[in-house]
Amino acid sequence: MTDLDIKAIEQFLYREASLLDQPDLDAWMQLFTEDGTYWMPAMENQPDPLNHISHIYDDRVMMEIRRRNFVHPRAASKEPAIRCSHLLGNIQAQGNTADGDLIVTSNFHVILWYREEQRCYAGTCEHHLVTAPSGFLIRHKRVNLINPDAAHKSLIIYL
Amino acid sequence: MKNTISNEELAGLVEPARLHKRLYLDPDIFELEMERIWGQAWIFIGHESQVPATGDFFSTNITHKIPVVMIRDKEGQVHVLHNRCGHKGAKLVESRDGNVRGAFRCPYHGWSFRHDGTLLKIPNEKGYEGTGFDPSDSCNNMQPVAQVESYRGFVFATLSSTAPDLKTWLGGAVDCLDNLCDRAPEGEVEVAGGVLRYEHECNWKFILENLNDTMHPMVVHQSVVQAAEDYIASLPASAAKQRSEAEIIPPFGSSYEKFEDSGITGFPYGHHYDGGKTSIHADYTVLPAYHEAMVKAYGEERTREIYSFNTHNTLYYPSLTIKTAVQNIRVVRPIAVDRFVVETWSFRLKGAPEEMLQRTLLYSRLINSSAGMVGPDDLEVYRRAQEGLQSSASDWVEFHRQYGRDQQLPDRVIGGGTSDLDMRTQYKAWREYMTGEIAQ
Repeated sequence: MTDLDIKAIEQFLYREASLLDQPDLDAWMQLFTEDGTYWMPAMENQPDPLNHISHIYDDRVMMEIRRRNFVHPRAASKEPAIRCSHLLGNIQAQGNTADGDLIVTSNFHVILWYREEQRCYAGTCEHHLVTAPSGFLIRHKRVNLINPDAAHKSLIIYL
Repeated sequence: MKNTISNEELAGLVEPARLHKRLYLDPDIFELEMERIWGQAWIFIGHESQVPATGDFFSTNITHKIPVVMIRDKEGQVHVLHNRCGHKGAKLVESRDGNVRGAFRCPYHGWSFRHDGTLLKIPNEKGYEGTGFDPSDSCNNMQPVAQVESYRGFVFATLSSTAPDLKTWLGGAVDCLDNLCDRAPEGEVEVAGGVLRYEHECNWKFILENLNDTMHPMVVHQSVVQAAEDYIASLPASAAKQRSEAEIIPPFGSSYEKFEDSGITGFPYGHHYDGGKTSIHADYTVLPAYHEAMVKAYGEERTREIYSFNTHNTLYYPSLTIKTAVQNIRVVRPIAVDRFVVETWSFRLKGAPEEMLQRTLLYSRLINSSAGMVGPDDLEVYRRAQEGLQSSASDWVEFHRQYGRDQQLPDRVIGGGTSDLDMRTQYKAWREYMTGEIAQ
């Protein structure tokens, strides 16, 4: 993997993060493959998303339901403004999945503004990326919070 | 604690169909609730399956402050002990769960205690010789919580030595715990798939009021119901059919008539459930492999009978609410007058296919997660009430819906599904606990 490849991966992750910062879920969802998934486990080193509880495990159908709910005028919890600032670092290529997708890990700090409160989330992301003609697409994004087992407040946006 | 609020004043805060806003806002009332409700009722601690082996423990708080630990000893007996060293008072275990090998060992001066809490050893014990200190005096043990009982694996404890036995206290509401367990072909459930912990920035009573408030789902959850229904309807039929979400989310938008039909049933000590003949969980697909296992275990008729008792939420006031048809529970852990944590635990039906547990976990994730699409809208309206009630516009919150139409039966009260009967049931118990009408 060349420095140019790494640069391209970083630029892609920054773009994804900036779409979540806005947040523009419509454009963000388009970064996923048709079989793409987003997973936020509820424990450290959680082996799988189906036989153990998770905070979020969405495929494209659930992402679309979440997006529609997010912009629905009657969703009371979405009425207060939600603004985020993602900071990514330690971006590393970690080889390939059995299907040949690129595995990329990164650390994130997200400051989130919601309901007159500034909150902080931190952890590590694992992206599985597919190279498509248009650039990268996300097959899988796993968000490992440093405190997945803590009592969390309402989180109404993807990190 | 100092009693600054007279029983008369407390009784005046809860009328038959309205209550005073101080119940949500006053820190002194919260402290009294911890002493008189949480300190006297049977509080759900955990399920025996959380501590399967000798020395396995689970720790929690029984009130907002009092730390306890549930542990299994080598004879297989499950104890609930105060998580406090008999010496200087340090907590013996800090983790939420784990295993105590051999004996508890205090991290401060090394006192050790058996799994049943009795003092095992004090280091350099000769310093106590001739001092009048008696190591065999039970006051030096880890103290057991006053009463501990288990019902079909559900472990409850009470700080009150005079509380009625658990079965009496559960009363007719025990049918729902039975139904949850009976839904397992082997007649037993076990905790599986971990826990979600959700912090709520409001008074603990809001979630209890919301459980069987059937006038809220079609309003509070309108957005996610529409989002799910509209989108799933746009999918090709074959794809839509495979989505369990299509069975789980839309019923939250059920009509007033449907909820009215489900009925509400109230019991002494504040317990209540909605549903019975039907509920918003009644139309879930029955997996053929599950049905086969059930019929093999119970026969066709008894299986139908088990399915046909279909409740939505059952509250065992004040700490535990269960969903029999979903096989998950939520446990309320108060922290302060405007803060509590809800724990969502999921259960495996022993002898059922694993897909059943996966559906339970899907439900818990979609509906009860702090990052779900149902729970956050509930919490949002609780918070608005917590903030709005600060207003000087009125001191009162009403619950008159179908007041005067509740039907009193020998052991329970029944009424229409959109009745405020659940409110009247739990606030009757609140008043009785708080003013000492329930024997102390």
